[in-house]
Amino acid sequence: MEAFNSVVISQMPFLLGGLWVALQLLALLLILGLGLGLGIALMEVYGHWTLRWAGILFERIFRGIPALVLLLLFYYGVTEFIELSAFTSAVLALGLRSAAYQSQIFRGVIQAVPAGQMAAARALGMPKHKAVFHIILPQALRQAIGPWTNEFSSELKATSLAYVIGVVELTRQGRYIISSTQGNVLLVFAVVAALYFVANWLGNQLLYKLERSLALPGFETRRDD
Amino acid sequence: MNMREKLCALISGAALLAVASAPSQSLAQETLTAGVEAAFPPWAYVENGEFKGIAIDAMREIAKDEGLNVEFRDLPWPSLIPALSRGRIDLLVTGLNVTPERAEVLDFTIPWWENDDEVLVPEDSDLNLVTALCCGATVGAQGGATQAQWLEENLADNENVDLAVRTYEDYVIAVEDMLAGRLDSVVTSTDTAESFLANDRPIKIVGTIQQNQPQALAVQKGDPNGLLESLNRGILKLYNDGRWAEIVHRYSPQATIRQIPTTMPDYVDSYHEPIPGYSE
Repeated sequence: MEAFNSVVISQMPFLLGGLWVALQLLALLLILGLGLGLGIALMEVYGHWTLRWAGILFERIFRGIPALVLLLLFYYGVTEFIELSAFTSAVLALGLRSAAYQSQIFRGVIQAVPAGQMAAARALGMPKHKAVFHIILPQALRQAIGPWTNEFSSELKATSLAYVIGVVELTRQGRYIISSTQGNVLLVFAVVAALYFVANWLGNQLLYKLERSLALPGFETRRDD
Repeated sequence: MNMREKLCALISGAALLAVASAPSQSLAQETLTAGVEAAFPPWAYVENGEFKGIAIDAMREIAKDEGLNVEFRDLPWPSLIPALSRGRIDLLVTGLNVTPERAEVLDFTIPWWENDDEVLVPEDSDLNLVTALCCGATVGAQGGATQAQWLEENLADNENVDLAVRTYEDYVIAVEDMLAGRLDSVVTSTDTAESFLANDRPIKIVGTIQQNQPQALAVQKGDPNGLLESLNRGILKLYNDGRWAEIVHRYSPQATIRQIPTTMPDYVDSYHEPIPGYSE
């Protein structure tokens, strides 16, 4: 208990500071992944075959390389040519990887919209791009929130890897406490784990709430057969 | 390194030296990034959000004396030397041992410390200096550290000694694993061992491996920023006016101050005369 007070309570501001860095990293990488992932999904479903293949190539590459290796590649490799901070390298490495995963979420939900929807829109004289934005995506994106919570959770945990290139996030702050007190390994990691868990849980609650509030009667997340 | 590369390195080193010996006014404006592994007490660590430790405090004093603008950047231990050789950081400030392999890829300042290695076992262990390092023992050390290399080369690779080495990212985790019963002993440097004891970890030292291992700061190979002169001069000044002893004892009250420079191994290019900031 004494260790808890002296270590955990007094060090909590630094742990929370680390969590804040992790959350900023998470927000930026998810936004990058969302924009790019949606673009790749549209390219893969509706694009010219060259765009489709470019999308598939990007997605295969970034899904096929471990996150840790990507971080090291961006920090040591890309920065040979462009000056990037450790934080920016982490946003890019994890964000592009997230784009690859998110593209598959979006491709799945776009293709899950019944083909009759597109046929009907076109029959009413809607151009294809308008049909995609006004008919297909509003239905598809609602269905994407469920699988996207999964991506949110897994990326939140992946931010802990960024310490290898010197981003001082939650895990690294935990290591600081362990090394300056030369012990308390279990205690500190338990608190770090709890902080990740709470952030994850709150994030998921928010996303579930969003999913419920956007649900259309008759189009909830379930098969309609 | 073959003969030709050596020659090239030497020539470019000399050329850079000539450039560097012109007082580097521009250096003062530029912020230098010092890589540290902030998980290595008493040399460098973070406490309450602040960088602390012998190397950190000494570097701050040197920077003040020499008019350098130094900013610390924390990187995990295995990333430090690659980051320096890739130029992501300008200098390395920690308890860095001078070794032939490292001398190939970076240049060392004059050594300011010398270390031996200590054999640690749990407080209640019956092992002694010999049994802790043989006869089926599993020994922990930090991966990439000189201790791990020494154990591999001298004991694990020797077929008459039955010993397995397990490496860890840092010594806190290695000691924790030993206390959990997964290691028989841990071999670490004298300062690290003393700092564990000072923090009341339930361990004891059963023996010392005399290494006279010099430690120094490091810069990029060939010293492209011309830092060695300022750093060497700064280290000597700190030592001569007593601030060095004061800083060391702040973190390690029992430590014996060694004469600076300590042993300068011949395999280090930057220890060949003339040594900038030291020889004149």
